[in-house]
Amino acid sequence: MTSKHLWFSLAVAIALLAVIGVSIHADEFNDADVERWQGEYMSVVADGRALWGSPDLGTNGVACGQCHPNAANTHPETYPKFQQQLGRVIALREMINWCLMNPLEGETLTLDDPRMIALEAYIAYERRGVPLDPGKH
Amino acid sequence: MRKTLFALLFAVGLLGAIVVFGGDTAENALLGLPPVPIPEDNPQTPEKIALGEKLYEEVRFSTTGDVACLNCHDPEKAFTDSPLKVSEGIEKKTGTRNSPTVINSAYFSTQFWDGRSPDLEDQALHPFINPVEHGFVDHEPILAIVRTDPEYIAAFKEVFDKEGEQITMKEVTMAIASFERTVVSGNSPFDRYFYAGEVDALTEQQIRGFDLFVNQGRCVSCHVIEQTQALFTDNRFHNIGVGINSIQDDVPELATTFLKADLTLSEVDVEVLTDARTSELGRFAINKDMDDIGSFKTPTLRNIAVTAPYMHDGSIETLKDVVIHYNNGGVTDVGDEVNDFLSGGIRSLDLEEEQIDDIVAFMEALTSPEFVPSPPAED
Amino acid sequence: MKNNPNRRDFLKGAGAIAAASALPLSTVELAFADPKKNFTFAYISDSHIQHIRGSQFVNNWDRGLIRAVAETNLMQPKPDFVVFGGDLAQLGTKEELDHGAEMLAKLDTKTYFVLGEHDYYLDLGEYWSTLFGDHWYSWDHKGVHFIVLNSILTFDEWTFDRWPTAEQRMLEMAGLDNPNGSPFMVGEAQRTWLAKDLEKVSKDTPVVVFSHSPIQKLYKGWNFWTDDAEQIQTLLAPFDDATVIYGHVHQIQYNQIGNISFHAVMATAWPWPYPGTYAQAEHTMPQLTVPMNRADPFFERDATGWQFIDMKSGRASMSYNLANNTNRTVAYDPATGKPVDTRFQDVGNRVPPQIHY
Repeated sequence: MTSKHLWFSLAVAIALLAVIGVSIHADEFNDADVERWQGEYMSVVADGRALWGSPDLGTNGVACGQCHPNAANTHPETYPKFQQQLGRVIALREMINWCLMNPLEGETLTLDDPRMIALEAYIAYERRGVPLDPGKH
Repeated sequence: MRKTLFALLFAVGLLGAIVVFGGDTAENALLGLPPVPIPEDNPQTPEKIALGEKLYEEVRFSTTGDVACLNCHDPEKAFTDSPLKVSEGIEKKTGTRNSPTVINSAYFSTQFWDGRSPDLEDQALHPFINPVEHGFVDHEPILAIVRTDPEYIAAFKEVFDKEGEQITMKEVTMAIASFERTVVSGNSPFDRYFYAGEVDALTEQQIRGFDLFVNQGRCVSCHVIEQTQALFTDNRFHNIGVGINSIQDDVPELATTFLKADLTLSEVDVEVLTDARTSELGRFAINKDMDDIGSFKTPTLRNIAVTAPYMHDGSIETLKDVVIHYNNGGVTDVGDEVNDFLSGGIRSLDLEEEQIDDIVAFMEALTSPEFVPSPPAED
Repeated sequence: MKNNPNRRDFLKGAGAIAAASALPLSTVELAFADPKKNFTFAYISDSHIQHIRGSQFVNNWDRGLIRAVAETNLMQPKPDFVVFGGDLAQLGTKEELDHGAEMLAKLDTKTYFVLGEHDYYLDLGEYWSTLFGDHWYSWDHKGVHFIVLNSILTFDEWTFDRWPTAEQRMLEMAGLDNPNGSPFMVGEAQRTWLAKDLEKVSKDTPVVVFSHSPIQKLYKGWNFWTDDAEQIQTLLAPFDDATVIYGHVHQIQYNQIGNISFHAVMATAWPWPYPGTYAQAEHTMPQLTVPMNRADPFFERDATGWQFIDMKSGRASMSYNLANNTNRTVAYDPATGKPVDTRFQDVGNRVPPQIHY
């Protein structure tokens, strides 16, 4: 390697370090990271909360929050479970889709739709602290 | 506690394995069904079943000598009298209700369209003494036959160790019920697809129909499919807007009159089959609960393609018309008024015509192999 | 099903009440101390008629009200009157109130009306008055003094100054869990009126208050709350028999505070969760209450219903007519001095839908 190459590589490395932040080791994260990531998460929770009260998720103006204030009675800690209304064991987001289709008379979302993620994030957030109880009816 | 849990998990796993891998699943007639419920006080024996079948076919159990159970529940017609809308008893008298199939009736928790009998044994008592069915005023003529006919004497002695006056309608109906408990069948193309993993058992259209059945069609909540078995009934009663729509204005008068009459269960049996307007009250006639006005039991959809016509009054002729009725939200013709007591599970479905056809195709996949009609003989 | 006189009878006429809950249409013989004083009225509440566009309304809520009206009209013997408990509309619009009024007009019995917040906050009850009359009033019937309160008012600043438009104000109050909401109250004007109204009523006259909010402080987060509850309760304290019947909560609740029995009514539209099911909240729920059955949302009428109320010797016996569920009766038990469920009060009698929350 020429000395020019060497200097160039070093410059790139230093630049990268500046971007990455103080941590030099890939396996470390710090309080600032955690706080930032928590904020990233809460922004999606906020999106979910906005969707929760939105009359536009379905076609009849009914919002999730009309029947589930603060996402009560959604039981996210029990999924996956056998869902009688669908005849098989499902994950939470499939029941969200059931609600979109039935009481909200709307279209389902794809399982990876950002809105679906946001709804799940909000539901789980309002249920924080409740232990897992998978399969419970 | 942990031991029990593991035992349970093991059993479930084993059961699952048996269902999926056990033996040659194509031969498993009960594929998709749970074990047949047998009451403790009426265990199955080959002799009892044979006696039951003989009683089931006994035309002497009618005033005219030509009506047996099998007239309206004919093994050649998937145990119904298809294509009759309502059944014909002695002298071709008609009632108000369509004959339900005996196939898989062992899985119902009540019998009749309005659930007025708690089990198969009780159910068998009633048609004999109904004026439009077998025509007797009481069961004495039946008892006279079984107590004096040499073949019956021998059979009842062998099965129940009873003779003469000891033979009562209890023994007669226990035998009939035993026979009916052998008339069970799963193993339809749907069962092979869903429970035996045979991906080719359903056509593309039927697979689309299955998806609609569970989702947009909103069928599965009442016509139950579950993870390891499917009865296609929830054993409950619902007003889906058949028949009741025509007597809507009469409901207040009918309901009040019916209550004040305070009939016994046998009188109810006669009343609902002989009076068309009372018949439309459905389960309300039995339990007098406003919640049940115009409600009828969810029938199983197994073998539905071969048990036309449909609904408690036989008023809907084809499966496509049935799905259209549901699509319209509980009225047969668009624009008809929905009745006030309609079940909360019924509403317009916004299905396209192709989707309706898909659901029909799916329902055609629910016929067990022994009931698939043989193609007409070629000339 | 016959009226079985051998049923466990721990309060006057319990057998008849139990039979009545199974046979709301039959002519039930009620054995009371003074039969002339006993009568029945029906209570329909929280229909939340919701306009979509044009002539389209949310079908689910429409059907709930239609069914309640049709069943009420089947009652035998006929109720003396019907009360509508508030929240006829969802956003208080003229279309919603008219559509709801049209359905209620099919009742063939005199009807009294109670305001709910969903009826009020768009135009402060102006259109409501043209349809149904006063916001608060009282009357006497067969020896019982009945009072209707408008108990969903709130602070003047929130009502008049905070929101730029009436529509916005209505939307903010419409969200049950909306942190921008404001606590319900009866307010000073009505408290003054109530005190005067009660002066004329003798202490042994049974008093029944119809209110939308609970006249208790149950859970502030969802406005299961009346800010001046204690003051109203104090006004009712001197009476031998006082009952408060309230809507708003969309669930079975009952309670006893001193001499006052509290009974919630079901909604015809949809059920609400019990506050205890919200994991992040502290709340006070009446311990007495045996919960309604948990709903299957496929059946749109599950956990909805209407009720008829027997006034027996000055106390209320609530018979809940529940679609898709076993009917429930909650009656005042003179022996213990509080309301009890005639079938499920004992913990051993509970069924899975009441505990599987």
